[in-house]
Amino acid sequence: MTGGTTPQVGLALTPLRRCLRSVDLVAYAGATWDWHRLHFDQAYAAERGLPGPIVDGQMFGALLVEQVQDEFGPRAQVTSVVFRFASMVYAGEPVRVDGRVVEVEETDGCHRITVDQEVTVDDEEGRTAVKGARTVVEVPVDGQEVPA
Amino acid sequence: MTLLTDEVRAYIGRTVRYTAPEALGRSSIRYFARAVGDDNPCYTDDEAAARAGHRDVVAPPTFVCETNQYADGRPDDDGYVGHSWDLPVPEGTRLVRGGHEYEFHAPVHPDVVLDVSWTVEGMEEKTSRSGTSLLLVTSLAEYRDQAGTLLARNRETLIYQEVAT
Repeated sequence: MTGGTTPQVGLALTPLRRCLRSVDLVAYAGATWDWHRLHFDQAYAAERGLPGPIVDGQMFGALLVEQVQDEFGPRAQVTSVVFRFASMVYAGEPVRVDGRVVEVEETDGCHRITVDQEVTVDDEEGRTAVKGARTVVEVPVDGQEVPA
Repeated sequence: MTLLTDEVRAYIGRTVRYTAPEALGRSSIRYFARAVGDDNPCYTDDEAAARAGHRDVVAPPTFVCETNQYADGRPDDDGYVGHSWDLPVPEGTRLVRGGHEYEFHAPVHPDVVLDVSWTVEGMEEKTSRSGTSLLLVTSLAEYRDQAGTLLARNRETLIYQEVAT
């Protein structure tokens, strides 16, 4: 976690890279009580014409938040996330989350920071997995942690 | 093919409510954070959570919008246990996620017992570039704790796509 970054419009967030392997999809399925076979069963996916088990799209919501919180530190409170799916991602594909600050407002002792984000498959083709994502986060202006 | 039949349209405005059988618990929060690879210490460490101003560890914000813990379902043939409307959409479609709009209103702690309501907000039929039908179904989930405090909202769009034959 970097934390404490001074927010400025145009700031590019540190990209978040993750390879979502089968084991990660199984862990996610268990953690969310969603045991749909699309997310781990190779034969089930093949019967439906898919090249492999598909990443549960909601997992990208968690990654969008993680990138923003890693950038702005543990006192950053994410207040909203909006995202749309552009294409499926299959088990074993590396993904990359990119983000850029598009608005900074100062309000009630907080910076309210709006970040536009995108998730792409991190390979030569680079297809878009999640487009038009927008996350809003509030960070206390002093940027300091509360003393324990 | 018409996907938005009167029978399907009748679901607009329908609401269903779930109350979780138990509190979320610390282990489910740690499990989720580990599964998504998020090592923010506020999810697992009391002192880190206190330094960030929390009374207890917190769940990753999207956790309540992603878990099916509250639905207390049994897996269907496909292994799915979460909320579903089981819309009577005509045969010959496949279902994909369109997108989500999450709002987070209050931190989620391990002692939260989720109270979740789902409502069908609207439906829209469109034609794809290739001329097949698409049915967009938008639902709103509201997540509250046992005191009725609003924790989060999740507006979800699902898309039924006509499969070209």
